[in-house]
Amino acid sequence: MAEEGSVRSLSCPACGGTIAMRAAGYTVTLACEYCGTLIDATDPAARIITRYNEIQASLAIPLGTRGTLRGVEWEVIGWLQRSDGWVIWDEYLLFNPYAGYRWLIAQNGQWSLGTMLTSAPQRDGPDQIVGSRRFTPFYGGNTARVMRVAGEFYWRVKPGEEVRASDFVRPGFMLSLEQDDREKSWTISELLTGREIRAAFDVDPPPVWIPGMTPLAHQPSPYVRRIKGWWPIAALSFVVLLVLLSLFGRTMQPQTFSLSATPDGPTVTQTFGPIVLPLGKQAMTVEAFTPSVEQGWVDIDISFVNRKTQDSYDAYALNERYSGRDSDGYWSEGARSQTLKVASLPAGTYDLVVDAQAHHWGSSGNWAFDASSATYKAEGLLPIEVNLMVARGARFATNFWLALLMILVPPLLMLILHIMFENARLAQKDGSSADADDWLQGMQSP
Amino acid sequence: MQSVACPTCGAEVVFRSPALPVRVCDYCRTLVVRYNQDAQGQVTENGGEAAVLPFDISPIQIGTEGNCFDQDFQIIGRVRWAWDDGAWNEWLMLLADGSHAWLGEAMGQFMALREVELTGSLAQVIRRLMNDTPVKPGESGNIAGQSYEVADIRTVRCIGCEGELPFTAPVGWDALSVDFRNRDGRCASFQKDRHGPSLYVGHHMNLASLQPRHLRQLPGWSLPAYG
Repeated sequence: MAEEGSVRSLSCPACGGTIAMRAAGYTVTLACEYCGTLIDATDPAARIITRYNEIQASLAIPLGTRGTLRGVEWEVIGWLQRSDGWVIWDEYLLFNPYAGYRWLIAQNGQWSLGTMLTSAPQRDGPDQIVGSRRFTPFYGGNTARVMRVAGEFYWRVKPGEEVRASDFVRPGFMLSLEQDDREKSWTISELLTGREIRAAFDVDPPPVWIPGMTPLAHQPSPYVRRIKGWWPIAALSFVVLLVLLSLFGRTMQPQTFSLSATPDGPTVTQTFGPIVLPLGKQAMTVEAFTPSVEQGWVDIDISFVNRKTQDSYDAYALNERYSGRDSDGYWSEGARSQTLKVASLPAGTYDLVVDAQAHHWGSSGNWAFDASSATYKAEGLLPIEVNLMVARGARFATNFWLALLMILVPPLLMLILHIMFENARLAQKDGSSADADDWLQGMQSP
Repeated sequence: MQSVACPTCGAEVVFRSPALPVRVCDYCRTLVVRYNQDAQGQVTENGGEAAVLPFDISPIQIGTEGNCFDQDFQIIGRVRWAWDDGAWNEWLMLLADGSHAWLGEAMGQFMALREVELTGSLAQVIRRLMNDTPVKPGESGNIAGQSYEVADIRTVRCIGCEGELPFTAPVGWDALSVDFRNRDGRCASFQKDRHGPSLYVGHHMNLASLQPRHLRQLPGWSLPAYG
């Protein structure tokens, strides 16, 4: 409350309550904060304009409260409750004799600071431009009506007073045009952060948006900052992932073994070793390469058998190669090389047991009837060499993709929430429903 | 600076501006009018009495200094005007080059205005105002090379004055006041009273942009850093 000297007090001619006039010389209308009666402040006798007997609402910010916003100390001197028929909002008139007037607009628990413009914005198609800020139309042609009033105002305000209102928005800001038959006025209001408004006037913090709530027309999507803030984290995580892969994903101490199998011959079984694994939970990579397989396939079964426990860890590869000539020319298909991965081998000494069986397909070579299997089998073909390279460690591509997905899930989730938020916000807008352009526009910085 | 004795109470009345003919006596509120500024000295006359100004919470006072129109200024006078729905101050600035200009103060916003001559080719809207033909808000016209729009039209009444003034402004003096504004913050004002029509052009300002010094200290409020 200001000291004596700047504030003039008078008693309400209707209810006798003591009311303060804080902007003497500017104030035109004084609405008694106790009974709502409107008093003509330009008349030295404080004449009653309209008598009301309504108990005023308890205000979120009581009249006379001082608070510092953006480095300027403001006193709340007036309060209006207005409605456009759909929503109701509160407007507090702030005053500082050196800085003039501002508005504090409260709707859905969100607070905005409004400043009246002294010159009209620049028009550009349907948009309006103030300084370097572009505002797009949001709703137009509403009628805003004063419902209740308390405190003092620089014009003749009264319940029922109506203005035509049009709003233009950009994230965080709203540009409003209000006009009646006498004048047009433009106001820019800026959404205040919960911290700012709390620090200034100690009101409840604005609610956090959850799907299903209707945001304000100029409320910026809370997810934009998070999506934008996530990218450095995602990039860092990606780099860390690559580093981890190159550190721990590389293979070590390769050992090579080879054996050969005759096409359509018997299964060749051979044991190699020892393979010593000093670390627990070791992944193994086995590369099976059959450089000479042609018009046939090789089944390769491998098992790591622990010498102590006889536990067996198995993998299987099928190397094949077919080729020929047809109307399109030469063709070939099949892979002569396979990489097998065996995860999580306990520490220990292992033998590698390999079963390889080669088959031939096609008409080349000599064929002989094999009585035991009652089929023709090729004869006289060269044995096929099976080369095996065994190494510790393995790169599991699926792990990489899983990690990448986990890095991308949070921003994707936030993007979906952002789109939900923007759709809820733009559902109130005049004209067509929201599309990707609108979602992108909602990403703009204030 | 010139000093004369008030014709009513004999107190010393100081004129800071050599050009302005009227000064309100600080003690008895007599409108002191000087004329015949020849070598012999001053002839003064009692031009009536100015009303006591009602209390207001304006940050400006006589003696406030600052910068406007690229010149230093000092506030030397004030006229307070009222209309049906409010009142505002017009502060008289004595500029460094000896000329004067007005600083209109309403709703915590300021308009710096300098008089321009009503000669040459005038916009139709100005000619109609001079001929007492009604105009409406929103009508536009060119003033001093800029396009303006009529913002409001009011019949105003002087409710008080203080300091030095370019004219006598007795209480109850009626005038027609028309404000114009344009898109880039410029404004203009047309006034017609018993002395005839006058036209002023200038621009909107806020207090900080006036770089003011010696602002009025208002109890309960701290002066801004620039004050």
